[in-house]
Amino acid sequence: MLYKKDLSFLLQEGLATGADFAEIFLEDTKSSVIRITSGEVTQIDRGNTFGAGVRLIKGIDEVYGYTNHVSVDNLHQLILNLRASFQTESIVKVKAFKKPQPIRSTIVKPMDSVPVSEKASKLQHLSRLMKSYDSRIVQAMCQLIETEQKVLVVNSLGTYQDDLRAHTRVFLSAVAQEKGNMQQAYEGPGRAMGLEFLDLLDFDKLATEVAHSAITLLSAEDMVPQVMPVVLHNGFGGVIFHEACGHPLEATAVAKGLSPFAGKLGEKIGSDVVTAYDDGYVDGAWGSASFDDEGKPTQKNLLIEHGILKGYLIDYRNARKMNMDPTGSARRQSYKFSPTSRMNTTYIAPGKDKFDDIIKDTKYGLFAKKLGGGTVVPATGEFNFAVQEGYMIEDGQLTRPVRGAMLIGHGKDVLFKIDRVADNLELGQGMCGSISGSIPVDVGQPTIRVSSMTVGGAGGKK
Amino acid sequence: MYQDWIALGKKKGLSDLEVFAVRNRSLSLTVYQGKLDAHVQSDVEQVTLRGIYQGKLSTIRFENHAHANVDHLLNKLIENAQALTVTEPAIIFEGSPSYPEVKEERFDFSRIPVTQKIQLLKDLESYILAHEKVTQVQNASYQEVDTQTTLTNSKGLHLFKRNTYAYAYAIGVFKQDDDIKTAYDVKLVKDFHDFDAKKMADETIRQGISKLGGRSIPTGSYPVVFSNEQFADLLSAFTSIFSGEASYRNLTALKDKVGQQVFGENIHLIDDPLHPESHFKIPFDDEGVACQKRAVVESGVFKGFNHNLKTSAIFKVQPTGNGFNGGISPTNLYLESTSQSFDEMIQPIQDGVYITDLVGLHAGVKAVSGDFSLQASGLKIINGKLDHAVKMIVVSGNFFDMMKRVKGIASDLKFQLSGIGSPSVFIENLMIGGEA
Repeated sequence: MLYKKDLSFLLQEGLATGADFAEIFLEDTKSSVIRITSGEVTQIDRGNTFGAGVRLIKGIDEVYGYTNHVSVDNLHQLILNLRASFQTESIVKVKAFKKPQPIRSTIVKPMDSVPVSEKASKLQHLSRLMKSYDSRIVQAMCQLIETEQKVLVVNSLGTYQDDLRAHTRVFLSAVAQEKGNMQQAYEGPGRAMGLEFLDLLDFDKLATEVAHSAITLLSAEDMVPQVMPVVLHNGFGGVIFHEACGHPLEATAVAKGLSPFAGKLGEKIGSDVVTAYDDGYVDGAWGSASFDDEGKPTQKNLLIEHGILKGYLIDYRNARKMNMDPTGSARRQSYKFSPTSRMNTTYIAPGKDKFDDIIKDTKYGLFAKKLGGGTVVPATGEFNFAVQEGYMIEDGQLTRPVRGAMLIGHGKDVLFKIDRVADNLELGQGMCGSISGSIPVDVGQPTIRVSSMTVGGAGGKK
Repeated sequence: MYQDWIALGKKKGLSDLEVFAVRNRSLSLTVYQGKLDAHVQSDVEQVTLRGIYQGKLSTIRFENHAHANVDHLLNKLIENAQALTVTEPAIIFEGSPSYPEVKEERFDFSRIPVTQKIQLLKDLESYILAHEKVTQVQNASYQEVDTQTTLTNSKGLHLFKRNTYAYAYAIGVFKQDDDIKTAYDVKLVKDFHDFDAKKMADETIRQGISKLGGRSIPTGSYPVVFSNEQFADLLSAFTSIFSGEASYRNLTALKDKVGQQVFGENIHLIDDPLHPESHFKIPFDDEGVACQKRAVVESGVFKGFNHNLKTSAIFKVQPTGNGFNGGISPTNLYLESTSQSFDEMIQPIQDGVYITDLVGLHAGVKAVSGDFSLQASGLKIINGKLDHAVKMIVVSGNFFDMMKRVKGIASDLKFQLSGIGSPSVFIENLMIGGEA
C-alpha cells in the first residue's frame, strides 16, 4: 500500500538529480476469458496485471522503469537507478497533489457481480445458434473477454488521478466447411462498460449473421487483382482512416518529422467531403476513457475539417518537443509501457450521401462490407488492409461475393480519393498495437467510396 | 513460497496444482539523433497457476503475489473449473524420463556499462546516417533480456531454465526523389561482444538502397521467390495448422491427414528445440514436457500434430513438448534447406518477383482456409538475375496449394526471432496485384 506521502517522497526523489518531471503509474487489472467451443465451455482463464511504472523527464529526455515489486523500498531503488541518467542539481520541487476529478464512466455490472456459469450459459446459447444455422458449420466459437483496470497516476505537477476502466468484448466466430474448402467469419463487438454490455446488443442476430457470412464465403470467388473504385462500408471500414491517417497524425510520428502530415497544419490533405475526429470520450465506447494515462481528462480532438488538417494527437513529452499542448491522448497497454500519443475513438464524420445511392452510382467496383485488420508504415505512408467480406458491384448492383481481397495504398493519396461519404456513421472495435502496447480503440466511418485503389487477390488466370 | 501456494490449493480441494513462474528482467535503450531517447528498465515476475478441481483444469495468471490475493485467486480458479462443461483430459505432469541439456554459455549483459550500450547505438546510427541516401535514422534500439523460468508442481516435478540475450537494430529512412523507404537489420546475440555496429549498418544500408526507386508492376501471375526471412514469417503465420488443438477443434485442413502426402515431395519441415542455428534453445515446454526434435512433414508427408498434454491424451500419442503459453506452438520449426545456392535457384526465372518484404501478416492470412493476400515489395527477377526494385504490390495465394508447387529451395537457412526458420523459396507462380 502506497500512501500520498510515500508517492510524494518518491516523486521528489525522482527530481533530485535534475529531472524536471516525475510520474508514477500504478495499476491493478483483473481480466477473464471464457471460451466456448461448439456449445461446450472449454476454457476459463483468469488474469491479473499488477505493478508500477516510473517516468522521469528532463527537457525532452526520458527514462522509464517498471516493476511488479510495488513497495516504497523497491520503487525507491528503481528511481535511484533511473535518476542516475541525470546528473545535475535539482531544479524543481514536487507540487502538492490536486483533488482528483470524478470518473465519468460508470460500471453497472462489474465482472465479479455475475457468476461465471451464468456468463458461460449465455455464450453457449450463441455458440449453438451459430452451429445450428447450417449443417456446413463445423465449428462455432464464442469468447467473452472482460477486464477491469484500476489505475492511479501521480506526477510532480500535482496530478493525483485515479480511474477505473471496464472493458467487455464478445467474440463470435464460425467455420464453414464444404469438402476441402474451409472458411471462417467473425465479429467482435466490445464496449468500455461492464457486463451490462450483454444486454445492449442483439447478440442472437449477430450470431446468425456470423454463421451466414461463413456460409457465404464458401461460395465466394477469389478476388481478381485489379485497380478499381472501392466502397468501404460503415463501422470497421474506418480502419482505413485509422491506418492511413490516424497513425501518421500521432505525435510519435509527427514530432520526428516521420509523418507525411508533419508541418502541414492548415493545409489541404484530403477532399472536401472529409471531416474527422478522434474523441477521447464517447460514453461507453470501446476506445474511450475518462482520463488518459497521464491523468489528463480526455477530450474531443478535431483532426481534419473539410479536407484541411486541423490537429495532431499529442502526449506530454511530445508536447514539449512540438511546442504544442497535449490533447489528452497519452495511452499505454499497462504499467509495462511508457505512455505516448495514441488514438481513442477515431472516425470520419457523417456526410450527406445515402448508402443506396453510392452503390447505385458505382458502375463497377468492390463493396468491402467487412474489413479485417491492417497495417501502416508511417514513414512511407504505405498501408494495407484485408477485406473479410466483400461483394462485386456491377452496374450499380451488389452481385457476387468475393474473398481474399487486400487493399493497399498511400495515406497521402487516399484522403483525396474519397469522393462520397454517406450519413450512416457507425463505430467498430479493435485492438491497436504500437509503441506503447496493445490498446482498445474504436475505428469508425459512414459508408465511403474511394475512387480508385489497388486491390490484390488470388483470382484470375494463372 | 510456491510450495505454500500448492499446499493452500490442496487444502481448498484441488487435486493437483502447478506453479509456472517467469521472472523477466530487461533493459531497453533507444538513441535518436545522437541522444538517448528512451531508457527503460524492468523487473517483473508473472505466475501462472494451473489447478485441477474435480477433474477439470483451470488457469490463473497473476503479478500481485500478496498472500490475500493468491487465496482469492485460488477461489476463482475453483469457481472457473466448476463452470467448465467440457470433459477433456486434465493433466499435471510428473515429468519426462530425461531432459535435453542446453550447452550455452550464459553471458551477463549487466556487466557491460550502459554507456557502452548507448555508444553501440550511437555508432550504429552515425554509420547509417553517413550514407548520402539516408535522411534520418528513425530510432536505434537495444534490448537485453534475462528470463528465469521455474516450474513446480504437486507431482514433485521441479524444473528451471534461464535465457539471456540482447538484440539491437536501427531503422534507416532512405530517400530518393519522392520515394521514401525504411530498412533495418535485427541482430540477436548471446554475448555483447558479438555486436558489430559497422556490419549491422552496412546490411541496413544495403537493404535500404535496394528498395529505392521501386515501382509497381502489371497485375498478373508470376514466378515468385520469397527471401528466407519472408518465407519464415509466412510459415510462422500458418503454424496453427500443425496444432493438435486445431485438429481436435476442426480448425485445420490437416485434420485426418496424418500419414498422407500434403505438400510436395521436396518439403521437409522439422521442429528442433536445440537447432544450433536457432536463437533460442528450449529444454522443456510450459507444462514440463521435454522438448524433442521431430519431423512434422517429411518428403511432403504429414507426420503428426504438435501436442500438449491434453491433446496428446485425446489422440493417445506421446506428448511432443509443444505446450506453450496455454496453447500449442512449435519450438524452432524450419524448412530444410538444400545445397542449391540462391543464384542457381533463380537462374531459370525469365520474368519473376523476388519478395523481401511482406506487410500485414496479422490481417492478410487466413490459417483455416490457407488463403493469404499480402502487401509486398522486393525486386524484379529478369533473365535469371535480380533487377530493379518493386513496390506496392499484393501477393496472393493459398498456402496448402503453394506448398505443392515449390520449384526450388535454396541453401540459405535463417531463423527469425519467432523461432521459425527457412531458406529462400521459389514458387512456380502466384498472383500479383499491381498496376492496371
